[in-house]
Amino acid sequence: MTPLKTVGHATHRIDALQRVTGAAKYTSDIHLPGMLYARVLRSPHPHARIRKIDVSKAMALPGVNAILTHENCDVTWGSGDQLNQRRLFNNPVRFAGDPVAAIAAVDRHVAEDATHLIEVDYEILPFLTDVEEALKPGAVAIHEGGNLSLNNQRQPVPQTYKRGNVADGLKAADHVFEDNFTSAHHNNAQLEIRVSIAEWSGDKLTVHAATQGIANCRTDIARDLKINVDNVRVISEYMGGGFGNKNQCQDSDLMAAMLAKQAGAPVKLEFTRKEDFVAVHGRWSSRQSYKVGVKNDGTLTAIQMTALTGAGAYRKGSCDLSGTEIYQVPHLETSVSPVYTNTAVAANYRAPAYPQAVFGIESLMDDVAYALKMDPMEFRLKNMTRKFRDQTPYTSIGLEDCIRKGAEKFEWKKRWKPEPGSGAGPVKRGAGMAMGMFGSGLGRSSAVVRLDGQGQYHVHVGVTDVGTAAKTTMGLIAAEELGVPLEKVTVVWGDTDTCPYSVGESGSRTTVQTGMAVIEAVRDLKKQIAEKGSPKGNDVLTAMATTNPPPLQGLSRNSFVAHFAEVEVNIETGHVVVTRFVAAHDSGRVVNPLTAQSQVQGGSIQGIGMALHEELLYDKRSGQPLNAGYYGARIMTHLDAPLVDVVWVETDEPYGPFGAKTLGEPTIIPTVAAVANAVYNAIGRRVKSLPITRDKILGVLA
Amino acid sequence: MKKISRRKFVEGTSAGIVAVAAIPAVEAQQKPTPAAAAAAVNPSVPRTTIKLTVNGVDHRLEVEDRWTLVELLRDHLELTGTKIGCDRGECGACTVLVDGTPLYSCSQLAVWMNGRSIQTVEGLAKSGKLDPLQEAFIEHDAPQCGYCTSGQLMIAKALLMKNARPTRDEVRTAMTGNLCRCSNYNHYVEAVMAAGGKA
Repeated sequence: MTPLKTVGHATHRIDALQRVTGAAKYTSDIHLPGMLYARVLRSPHPHARIRKIDVSKAMALPGVNAILTHENCDVTWGSGDQLNQRRLFNNPVRFAGDPVAAIAAVDRHVAEDATHLIEVDYEILPFLTDVEEALKPGAVAIHEGGNLSLNNQRQPVPQTYKRGNVADGLKAADHVFEDNFTSAHHNNAQLEIRVSIAEWSGDKLTVHAATQGIANCRTDIARDLKINVDNVRVISEYMGGGFGNKNQCQDSDLMAAMLAKQAGAPVKLEFTRKEDFVAVHGRWSSRQSYKVGVKNDGTLTAIQMTALTGAGAYRKGSCDLSGTEIYQVPHLETSVSPVYTNTAVAANYRAPAYPQAVFGIESLMDDVAYALKMDPMEFRLKNMTRKFRDQTPYTSIGLEDCIRKGAEKFEWKKRWKPEPGSGAGPVKRGAGMAMGMFGSGLGRSSAVVRLDGQGQYHVHVGVTDVGTAAKTTMGLIAAEELGVPLEKVTVVWGDTDTCPYSVGESGSRTTVQTGMAVIEAVRDLKKQIAEKGSPKGNDVLTAMATTNPPPLQGLSRNSFVAHFAEVEVNIETGHVVVTRFVAAHDSGRVVNPLTAQSQVQGGSIQGIGMALHEELLYDKRSGQPLNAGYYGARIMTHLDAPLVDVVWVETDEPYGPFGAKTLGEPTIIPTVAAVANAVYNAIGRRVKSLPITRDKILGVLA
Repeated sequence: MKKISRRKFVEGTSAGIVAVAAIPAVEAQQKPTPAAAAAAVNPSVPRTTIKLTVNGVDHRLEVEDRWTLVELLRDHLELTGTKIGCDRGECGACTVLVDGTPLYSCSQLAVWMNGRSIQTVEGLAKSGKLDPLQEAFIEHDAPQCGYCTSGQLMIAKALLMKNARPTRDEVRTAMTGNLCRCSNYNHYVEAVMAAGGKA
């Protein structure tokens, strides 16, 4: 790969100064004159019908300006549910935390006080917290049509994929393995809590939103409030993380807008941390059952997976599972059924369908390798994907290099022990690995590049930068294509009034999608400069480009990854410490090695938390969430975090901007499985349910 | 006509000099804030007048007894660099220094700050020059989304004031009450190690 001038060199974020001085204005930092503060009253019951709601005492409290309930606010939150009509305030309420009312008052204390003065008469309904119980005959239906949700084509059947014939594949096998794995609902838990500020000026609405995509947020708001999209402006200048739970528009955006309308004043609505855990969303849980056929020499003949996933009370996400695609196998069948329960809603969280599914398949493949007396790494090299779904060649694939170079850096041959559970003393050491992949590049994005009379280039892109350094990436790509230093490029972002459409920072597609639009716009601008000369004084030259995913001519574009973990497990206490971690990534050319390393280290460490700690627990008898918040979730801390060594496998990718592929989400995909496999290698027993907590480790050792 | 003595004139002048130093506090007091509006509608909420120093500036303020320190900083002194991540003492995003000691400002009442000196992220840079920690945070790409960064800076500042050259494990231990969901812990520790001895 030819080295480039700007792209590929470690570069500080263009907004780093603002981030380290407190000058960066996040949504919650914005104060508008006359602004009111809002709070939400939520259902304490997991399932109930509201017979009567009386807001008169709350409304009479001095300082209260507006109150919304299902009686005076009939707004459908379109992106809150893909299949059912989900309103801002639903009756019946379907989980403990479903919004019942929203109040705007002169300050947060008065708003909070007012929530206690609203009187709600609930008719308590039967409820469900367990996906298997939800499918039993006679179970209470949470939505019309029952608790088995529709597939992504809105049919009342599971989401399925099939190639070959699994029965034939299993017949051809020398050995058949069967096992079950489960994973828990856990939370995105980004540091910035959900917040929206809405202000009306006549029929024009401005929403300051903490969003991953200003453009889609804007069109969603216009659709849900039934107003012209030209009358909506969305601003998100700095954004404190989302990992998938701030895509599109949020109910808080719509509630703030409706409250502001009723009150005739700007309204800031902030959720609490507890609300963020129980009432926004987390990753869907899963129950996976597998059958795998394999020959004596370790060649796979068939994989079958059937699974239930936990959608929670509404169908906000795909609730799909993706993991089996990392293996080459002639006969494959998968079937996934999302199920409703009266619990927190599940939707996108960093590689939504992957890490829990990869935990299942990679745990089982580990067992297969051990049973055949094969090194799990060799087993993967033998059976890893070579064509997408065994049919479509990849645009570039560095998976084998990820495994080999990662293993070398990790010292796999030295650290992995052929006899799992061996070793003296109560602290057992073990090593595990897993692999993953992620498709990239859906959606459409635009970019505008402007050259002013002073020789400065302005790149307008509809990104918000969720923490990935997307602004800097866009600047680097523009500077490289222009052949100018980064200082000559000003990036304009985060405001629908000044930025063109971008698909939004989800699906790890900003670099490949919006980045391509930047390149196309720069090319057009350069052509204009060649024809007309550089602008002088008050003149400007402007170019715009819109790119769709490139025609891949029968190829599949994917990023690849292999993770390696070493753990120490104390078999007396069940305590696990990750002592070494290597993450090897093929994301094509790395645009900014400094910020890319942050993403890989961060994604890996986040995944270790998913493997070992995180679960939103429910009390089955009351339907109440038990551990909402950071203490209960036990997300990773400074002391938990190992050093993550990053290995780049930079394949020569022909399609992305300067050969870049997707990066953000693959960073968490195989982490969980690598840790789980290391725990197995350490103690010689397998924990088949996420998270791998101390009690489960002591349980399998007992 | 009342005669003004020389002594009174001098006293008045020096009082004037004192008042110049206190101008930011006077402004903070006189600025119409949402709190003032709340007081107008709800006089029953107990209020107390406190004096405190924030980033070297003296303030005399009437606060509601239920306000937390982070609320005072963010909503009433316009110092929004300090963030609220949980508002319940779990995440550390609101960490500030109170008389040099790092505290979660969501878990301190504003009225307790009478006579105390507070340092926030806005007070780290001195006369336009960044603190070595801020320089190192930029250099090592410590902030990803940046929402926990102010808290990470303040806890690191407290550590380096006590222990100028900490080990890696001392950094991790000191900072473990400050969560980063982007989980950029490796780069945070690297940055603090690099700033060690300079801050």
